[in-house]
Amino acid sequence: MTDRQRHGFILLLVAGLIAASVFVIATQRTILGLDLKGGVQLVYQGEPTAQSGVTQAALNRAVDIMRSRVDQLGVSQPEIQTDGGKQISVGLPDVTDINRAEQEVGNTASLFFFDWEANALTPNGKTVASQLLTQDPTALTISQGGGLGPGLPGGGSTSLYQAVQLASKQPTAPVSKSLSRPPGRQYYLFGAPGSAACTAAAKHFGTTVVQGTHCLLVGPDNEAPTATRAKALQDLAAGLPPGVTMSEGQVLVVPQGTVVLQAANPSASQQIKFASPTAEFYVLKDNVALTGKDITNPTEGTDQSGAPDVQFGFTGSGASRFQSVTGQIAHRGANVSLGGRTLDQHFAVALGGISSQLVTVPSIDYKQYPDGIIESGGGSGADITGGFTSQSASDLATELRLGALPINLKLISESRVSATLGAQALHQGLIAGAVGLLVVALFLVAYYRALGLIAVAGLAVYALYFYALIKLIPVTLTLPGIAGLILTIGVAADANIVIFERVKEEIRAGRSIRAGIVTGYRKGLTAIIDANVVTIMTAFILFVLATAEVQGFAFTLGIGVIVSLFTAVMATQAILMTMSDSRTIARPSALGAGGKKREWRFDFMGASKYFFSMSGVILLIGALAIGGRGLNLGIDFTSGTRITTTLVHPATATQVSAVAGKAGAVDPQVQRVGNTGDTFQISSKPVNGGTGAIQTALQAKFGIKTNNGTLVFDSTTVGPTFGRTVANSAVIAIIASLLVISAYVALRFDWKFAVPTLIALMHDVLITSGVYALTGRQVTVDTVAALLTILGYSLYDTIIVFDRVRENIPRMPRAAFSQVVNRSMSEVLTRSIATTSCTLLPIIALLLFGGSTLQDFAFALLIGVASGAYSSIFIASPVLTHWKEREPVYRHRRHRLETEYGFVAPYATTGADVEPTRDRRRRPSRRMTEPEPDTVSAAEFEQMKRDIAEEEAEPSRRTSTLTQRLARSQPTEPQDTPPAPGPGGRPARGGRAARGGAGGTTQRGGAGGAAQRGGGGGAAQRGGAGDAGGTPSPSPAAPVPPAAQPPQPPQTPPGEDGREEPEFRHAPDEAENDAMPQTPKPARSAKSRSRNRRHGRRR
Amino acid sequence: MGMLAWVMMGLALWHFTIWLPDRFWGGIVGAFLGALIGAALFGLIVNGFVIPGRHATSIGTALEAIPGALIGIALIYFEGIRRERAGTAAAGVGA
Repeated sequence: MTDRQRHGFILLLVAGLIAASVFVIATQRTILGLDLKGGVQLVYQGEPTAQSGVTQAALNRAVDIMRSRVDQLGVSQPEIQTDGGKQISVGLPDVTDINRAEQEVGNTASLFFFDWEANALTPNGKTVASQLLTQDPTALTISQGGGLGPGLPGGGSTSLYQAVQLASKQPTAPVSKSLSRPPGRQYYLFGAPGSAACTAAAKHFGTTVVQGTHCLLVGPDNEAPTATRAKALQDLAAGLPPGVTMSEGQVLVVPQGTVVLQAANPSASQQIKFASPTAEFYVLKDNVALTGKDITNPTEGTDQSGAPDVQFGFTGSGASRFQSVTGQIAHRGANVSLGGRTLDQHFAVALGGISSQLVTVPSIDYKQYPDGIIESGGGSGADITGGFTSQSASDLATELRLGALPINLKLISESRVSATLGAQALHQGLIAGAVGLLVVALFLVAYYRALGLIAVAGLAVYALYFYALIKLIPVTLTLPGIAGLILTIGVAADANIVIFERVKEEIRAGRSIRAGIVTGYRKGLTAIIDANVVTIMTAFILFVLATAEVQGFAFTLGIGVIVSLFTAVMATQAILMTMSDSRTIARPSALGAGGKKREWRFDFMGASKYFFSMSGVILLIGALAIGGRGLNLGIDFTSGTRITTTLVHPATATQVSAVAGKAGAVDPQVQRVGNTGDTFQISSKPVNGGTGAIQTALQAKFGIKTNNGTLVFDSTTVGPTFGRTVANSAVIAIIASLLVISAYVALRFDWKFAVPTLIALMHDVLITSGVYALTGRQVTVDTVAALLTILGYSLYDTIIVFDRVRENIPRMPRAAFSQVVNRSMSEVLTRSIATTSCTLLPIIALLLFGGSTLQDFAFALLIGVASGAYSSIFIASPVLTHWKEREPVYRHRRHRLETEYGFVAPYATTGADVEPTRDRRRRPSRRMTEPEPDTVSAAEFEQMKRDIAEEEAEPSRRTSTLTQRLARSQPTEPQDTPPAPGPGGRPARGGRAARGGAGGTTQRGGAGGAAQRGGGGGAAQRGGAGDAGGTPSPSPAAPVPPAAQPPQPPQTPPGEDGREEPEFRHAPDEAENDAMPQTPKPARSAKSRSRNRRHGRRR
Repeated sequence: MGMLAWVMMGLALWHFTIWLPDRFWGGIVGAFLGALIGAALFGLIVNGFVIPGRHATSIGTALEAIPGALIGIALIYFEGIRRERAGTAAAGVGA
């Protein structure tokens, strides 16, 4: 396939994909995340049960069950997914009642059947069954219910404190499948009767203090068998009510094998909560007979009296086990019913979890079922009655039918977003995106003209593809996702800039437009792929390790980078190549390559000391700020409740704080947010029991705005577990990113390139942290995502510089490493400035027009990207230089230069020392990303010649004292003296030509315009297309004064440093030159030079 | 938070080693490691091998890293000199 056919095919593909994208966009709907359309978000932490650990399979099963429950409830477009290692994130759009959502989705609904008398414990720690034969009154009360009914409050139950105290004295049982609660110990903290801690706890939980009894301060907290007591107490302390310390309470520990069950509700109208002071409890040996897995077809029904109940059958094994246990119960009933007194025995049904409650304790009539209840299986063989309403019976039947969750779930974060605030955020995000796209487009057109227009077309195609992909996959578009999208606009533009700068370089170097485009794309591709691979890796790490919210950002970033590779590289190349023969881009000026390239001649390495010191001072201030002020960590890390609401009536932050404080917010911090002045954000420690009371209080006092009948009231509560998880995953993600990035750079470049990269990245992250500490800005999950993005993006610039260093190393086999780096940086600085500007523009748009969440992203990105651009030039490169110059090769080169010239000039292009192999055989197939080693255009080669002459003339301008002294003391050896400046301050050229020796002529060059060196008396003759740059060559006959002759380099054979570069051969030195025939080549015609220039013939 | 302050201080001080002659063991990267490890280790020793948490971190915590970083840098520097001399001596013997 010819190039033309290939490009035609690509353009057809682009057009086809555009058509497909338009179709997808027109027909598919965009799925908006909760933060954009409103709803409830719940995050659960999985905890093991005796039957199952928290495995991925268990989490997936739990997700399936939860999805079925949500479907049954009629919630549209729910988002339920595993998140991280042990978490499940549930998004329920259009749901505003968090409490109901929690109840419907996260209820574990684990059903357990106990042999009641065989497991219930009397206060003396013995089982009821063992005490019945002795007619123990307490045992009889617990067994028969004391006239109220077994399992009910008052039927032998005790307070929670007494129950836990009894349970804490029981022996530890081994782990077995018959445990109802998770393996390990349960920790409780109780306050003394009448203590201040009990008062504070009652206020916090919204309950009342019961005089004369211990109160529960915190717990139960289930700890794994391997957890230490210190860790358990630390976890308990995290959940303490405000103002209460651990020392104010008494810790009780319930060992594995004993369970504390709340008594059953007396009736449907008397539902008693676990934390209620009136709740009563029983203690049982944790030895279940059956579980919810053993039942089938649970349905809501009514019993003989017409009361709601739940009816079900048993599985085959369940039926067998049910018969067995009821048989044992019946036999025991027959044994204890002596003397004409009937003592029916019971089995208990409980809903389990960490805090379990009895549902009912039915009896087994031993006369009717002497061998137990025989259930054939599959039928409606049993029913559960006891205090059900029609609704609660229906709910339980549904939950049992869908299956119990295989693991326990602990709610660790909940948030509610109103549709209004979501729509506002979407609006702000879209505006920021549009402005970002516009400014990037303007920048590209202004700077690159025709190329810029093509890049803008590429960006438009990119935006179209990206939007279509979001709809097609489909990706749930969240606010952080929009940030990722806007950032990828900058990334896509950066890829174009890297290539365009390269194309311009090639064209300026004398290549034709077409050849310049081909070479520019080929050379630029390496750096782009390296940089984008790193960004994709960072996005992947973010996606794997981050929370669900940040995953949206990571996903869009990753997809965007991949799509941009296609549009920015393949599509624009096809467009350009197709246009290359047209008049539109016939002149270099149309591509912005008309004028002379801006030459940076700054001594980057020499000045690095000052930039290092500047960074050191910034970091010093940052370290002191971190120590003195610390980071203002948001509730994502510290746990707490954040409420955002818009009020109807004017209010001050103090007034809002007072109202929220009275309604249950603990130590509320209130600030105005947004531009309207009526929206407030309230942050406080976690508010237990929901934010309903605060909402009601604010509504009553100031009124809360409504939109379509919904209150504009957002709330987020993050528990300590979630905060810890977020912090841990952030640290892991940062370390993983650093390692992966280092490994990649080491593989693609050299391991010595990886270390400076790592240091530069640390520099960027720490400077960003320092700025956050200094400004006191809140650090959120989004900030961490931005930090990780900085890691990937900061490397973009570093790779661009290092890529050029890698390319220049073989071109400059005699230069000091600092000279290689100086030259590389001078070549890519324009490119770096352009790419950084292009990335900063959409980020600034985000900062100005995005909402508060996007502004969080934008601020961190702004600091990080700016720092990244700076560090790639002034930190990574100097470190690399210092380190590489310790290598024997470069140490030798530096020593040689210092010996020859007295100092090492900042710039040297040792192009004169190398000559590309003319008839080099190209490998038939090579990797796309392989760096372009040696393609040097004619003019480029000439430029290298001129540069080396300038370098050698450099000592005349910056002659060291030592050299001057030498020059004065050795007037008879002018060749050791640096050349005097030529007219106009420029040094005289042709110094190297003196190497040809008196009367000798050394000629190099040929097609494409090589330099013709030498000449009588050391004059230099330069010629060829390379001189089209405009530098006049001295006449071959022009006499050069001895004083203007440059110093003589030593007679060093090729490959002196033991590193013969494979793609180049060294030019012969004097010894070889002397032996070579000194016949000058005939001068080439202007026509020939012109042709070469037009066709960009390579040497 | 304490560790962050120490590492940051170590990194800050390392930047100024650019003014010293490059005689560090391992060069500028050796100095980098010396500064960071020295800062963190000294901070840990001063605090009884406990990393100060968010609320326990103060300006003093950041300042605690200074001696450690300087000691780390100095150790790497003198080790570099020692190795340099040993290398020179070995070369002299070999010659």
